[in-house]
Amino acid sequence: MLEVSGLTTAYGEISALRDANLSVGSGEVVGLIGPNGAGKSTLLNTIAGLLVPRAGRVDFDGRDVTGRSPEELLRAGLALVPERRRIFVDLTVEENLRIGGVTIPATDRGDLLNEMAELFPVLRDKWTTSAGYLSGGEAQQLAIGRALMSRPRLLMMDEPSLGLAPILVDTVFQLVEALRDQGRTLLVVEQNATRMLEVADRAYVLRSGQVVAEGTGAELRSDERLFDMFVGN
Amino acid sequence: MFPDLRRDVLLPVAAGLILFGLFVGAGLLYQGQLGGQERLVTLALIDAVLVLGLQIYVGNTGILSFGHIGFGAIAGYAFALMAISPVEKAKRVADAPFGLADVHLGPWTSMGLALVVVLIVALVVGLGLARSGAESGAVSATVITLALLFVTHEVARNWPDLTGGDRAGLSFRIGGGLDSRAPLYLALLAAILSALLYARSRGGRLAVAAREDDLAARAMGVNPLVQQMVALLLSVAVVGMGAGLRVYERGSILPRDFFFNLTLVTLVMLIVGGRRSVSGALLGVAVITAGRELARRLGQDGFEFFGIGLDGAPLDWIFRENLKTVFLGVAMLGFMIWRPSGLLDDWDLDRWLHARLDRWRSRREDPQDGTRPELPSEVEPDDTDVLVVKGVGVSFGGFQALDEVGLEVGRTEVVGVIGPNGAGKTTLLNVVTGLVGSDTGRVELGEVDLTGMPSHQIARRGLVRTFQNLRLFGALTVRENIEVSALVASSTRQHRLPPDIDGLLLVAGLWDVRDRRARELDYGTSRRLELARAVAMAPSFLLLDEPTSGMSDAESLVMVDQVRRMAGVVGAGVVVIDHDLNFITGICDRITCLDRGQVIAVGSAAEVQADPVVQAAYLGSSAET
Amino acid sequence: MVELLQNLIDGLGRGSIYALLALGVAVIFGVMHLLNFAHGELITVSGYAAFWAIEAGWSWTLTVPLVIVVSVLTSLVIERVAFSRVRGADQFTLLLTSFGVHFVVFAIFLLYVSASVKTFARPGWVTDTYALGSLRVEVYDTVVIAITLATLAGTTFVLQRTTFGLSLRAAAADFDTARLMGVRSDSVIRGAFALSGLLAGIASVFWLMRAGSTVPSAGIDPMLKGVLAALIGGLGSLRGAVVGGFALGMAEVLLRSRLPDSIASLTEGVVFLLIALLFIFRPQGLVSVDHAERV
Repeated sequence: MLEVSGLTTAYGEISALRDANLSVGSGEVVGLIGPNGAGKSTLLNTIAGLLVPRAGRVDFDGRDVTGRSPEELLRAGLALVPERRRIFVDLTVEENLRIGGVTIPATDRGDLLNEMAELFPVLRDKWTTSAGYLSGGEAQQLAIGRALMSRPRLLMMDEPSLGLAPILVDTVFQLVEALRDQGRTLLVVEQNATRMLEVADRAYVLRSGQVVAEGTGAELRSDERLFDMFVGN
Repeated sequence: MFPDLRRDVLLPVAAGLILFGLFVGAGLLYQGQLGGQERLVTLALIDAVLVLGLQIYVGNTGILSFGHIGFGAIAGYAFALMAISPVEKAKRVADAPFGLADVHLGPWTSMGLALVVVLIVALVVGLGLARSGAESGAVSATVITLALLFVTHEVARNWPDLTGGDRAGLSFRIGGGLDSRAPLYLALLAAILSALLYARSRGGRLAVAAREDDLAARAMGVNPLVQQMVALLLSVAVVGMGAGLRVYERGSILPRDFFFNLTLVTLVMLIVGGRRSVSGALLGVAVITAGRELARRLGQDGFEFFGIGLDGAPLDWIFRENLKTVFLGVAMLGFMIWRPSGLLDDWDLDRWLHARLDRWRSRREDPQDGTRPELPSEVEPDDTDVLVVKGVGVSFGGFQALDEVGLEVGRTEVVGVIGPNGAGKTTLLNVVTGLVGSDTGRVELGEVDLTGMPSHQIARRGLVRTFQNLRLFGALTVRENIEVSALVASSTRQHRLPPDIDGLLLVAGLWDVRDRRARELDYGTSRRLELARAVAMAPSFLLLDEPTSGMSDAESLVMVDQVRRMAGVVGAGVVVIDHDLNFITGICDRITCLDRGQVIAVGSAAEVQADPVVQAAYLGSSAET
Repeated sequence: MVELLQNLIDGLGRGSIYALLALGVAVIFGVMHLLNFAHGELITVSGYAAFWAIEAGWSWTLTVPLVIVVSVLTSLVIERVAFSRVRGADQFTLLLTSFGVHFVVFAIFLLYVSASVKTFARPGWVTDTYALGSLRVEVYDTVVIAITLATLAGTTFVLQRTTFGLSLRAAAADFDTARLMGVRSDSVIRGAFALSGLLAGIASVFWLMRAGSTVPSAGIDPMLKGVLAALIGGLGSLRGAVVGGFALGMAEVLLRSRLPDSIASLTEGVVFLLIALLFIFRPQGLVSVDHAERV
């Protein structure tokens, strides 16, 4: 479904991403792990259209979507749950979800909102609360629900467990598993490599802007050199 | 005051004289050969003084001021009230307060006193700006200056006893008071030299540093508010001088002379030429004056330009006036859309001369002749102060970013702080260097308690940091970046013997690019510059925030060497935050590992790397349930 | 007491117009972080439209919608021609761009129309008053307050209950993330300018009815009031803009009636001084936008 080849993105002089290649097949859960500053977020942001790459291309459903705007990519079926969630704190939970579905015809939006209420009972209880009052875990669920409202074909998530207490990290990964079981296609950047590898079908390890390893979840999980890859030995 | 006498005094004065000559020469040429109006040139000279005054403030601080013409109004009225004879004043302001109706001083005495008056007002306004937290790009500062413009305008219009009111104003004897151009030439020369010398002086450099990056400037011990005040006072003095001359030349003053129209004109002149450059300010005055004159002439019948007749529709005087305004508005808009930094950006004549002279010199000299400085030798720390951080706790909203975190660093040590993303490493650094307040805990350097001090003071006391996102003073050259720290250190840390700048450039591998602008450097070089700039403060401790972020493995290795050497030049202890364990283990004696705001491991590099708790923190742990 | 109530009503009347202007400024600031110094030009342009219409024999019933439509169109044109080209620029550039637009429009009218004041007949009821207990209330003030409240209610409805309003609020909160949701940047910015134009149009109707004339510099005063009121309320807060507008209106009326006669003419000056003091001590404005920090 998604093919990334030779993607290079730079901030001014810094090459944050160098010649990255990855692919995500329909129905797969693919993980992107690696130490900080490796370029994982940069990769997602480039695919999502928030950054323009210097070189390389992104193909979605066989079409070249490199450099398209985020609005267009969303309409093509690519949704991103950004790093640190970035929910709209001045809007209510319901409004956050609603804006996530702004590209969906109004008639279907109602059904989708009900679906989200089912999927996230915690949010249903806080339906009309201002999103700024949500806890970290609730905010994460809201961010994911908001992205799901656009009926994406590929859902990308940037560090969903960031800043969450261990119990909540469990909830997040349970959610990822639930989404996987629904047959959704996911591309997830994660700090928590261990958990991610338990859930993912395949994963890529990024370091200093480059893909240094690739394999199935099981393969990488049992790779002794994983910690070394993270710390650069 | 001036880091380099040749570059910062001699050349600016020479350039100033040349600019003066060019500007006046152009004016006289227009007058003499092209049959231009004498008055136009006279007014252009005065406009130049006003615009230069504006440039001193707006250019160096980056704060957009709409209020300088308001200061001009104050100076203008003060001057008029003191210089106009009581006979003339009796016609309009017989009941002037403070007995001003009877005051009659010579024009230059009046001008001087008027400047004193307006500077006092500027001091008060400057305090207000500081209180509001003025910063380059701050809207509140601009609004305060706008309010000043309006307040002076309203007072001028509605206090007839003092100002002669809206319709009549104040006036000298018929024909104005200014007999010759000599005072104008003098004023213009003074304004040019003030603008150039200020920009090259310590004050100007620190103001520009704050303009480029407020946070980084504070981290180098600069107090932006103080520098902005200095810029304000100098700029108001120059504008006040120009305003007084304007009133004297015209022979009268009315509220509308110093309001929106003049504000627009001076602003457009400044931005068209390039607000960051003194040469630009003068160029802007010339271009806009020429443009306005052209627009005015287009309103006349049959304007001949090099033999080609340009026939504008017959418009009366009012419309000619208005075509000028259209021209100004379009110029403002056009430049903001297509070239916001102006024609010259921040190019200036003296710097260009300096660059040419250097190049000529280096070509003349034998490359074998080492004009390179000596490599500075490592020094031993001059005291045994220890940096102690203990019990630091910070929470944002309900979120505990740091909990009971502490560490100790000696002057000869290199300590690393590691941990996964969100562990609180940068927050810790921000607390120690005064960017963020802590709820609990203390930061002590030797016997001095630094807890809660503002960041620029902490830097002056010897704790200097770098930033994860590169924060250089982009418009300054490599050398000038380092000079900023050196200037601060020379007055606050003389006892530490700040390192020689040339030597520092050499150690950091920056000698060959020392005259390049910081924004043109590649990433690795930029990082080295940031480090060198911090070291130039002669710190007791260096705190580096992810110095290798964005670097390849090879570049990180180079950084290890760099950090060691630079710290050695000043005998500073080092605290490094980074994820790259390769880099950390290569350089650190001890490592503290944070996770979720707490210290989870302390020890040597080998110990910490092998610690399963650390590994779990980095890789994440399996499901709890 | 009577005087105070009288002042209250006058202040509300004035404040209503300022609130509409301030809201128009705040809406644009919310999505673009641009302080629109050209906002007053909408009043100038629609003022000339009103003048020409009435000269041509139009009744006020027809002129009112014309004024509003012209205001909206002018707002959209200004966005297209000038502001669309400086999206994302720094504050310095944005401020000077809007300043430049103000001057260009002002100067164009000066050049191509006339510098002189154009007067036109005001609707008959503008100067009518009626008694309310021991108060003399102007019909005009009543209408202004009523329409303003209705407009504010309508705007609130649009913002809170329509998809467009939701997109606008989301874009004002976090433009990039709104784009991730599929909100088109062009649409939302144009929508903001249209809304701003509509609000200015309504304010313009009342402004013109009161003034009975227009002149190229007509836009300066309303622009100032709108910008200052929005700033007083705290930029970025729509509620604050409305509060700021009413506060400014009240302050003007109260000052004018309380200040000793000798400096009554300095009311405007005092108002500006107070504004300066406000920004010195509370640069974020009166209404603090309370963001729950959690995320």
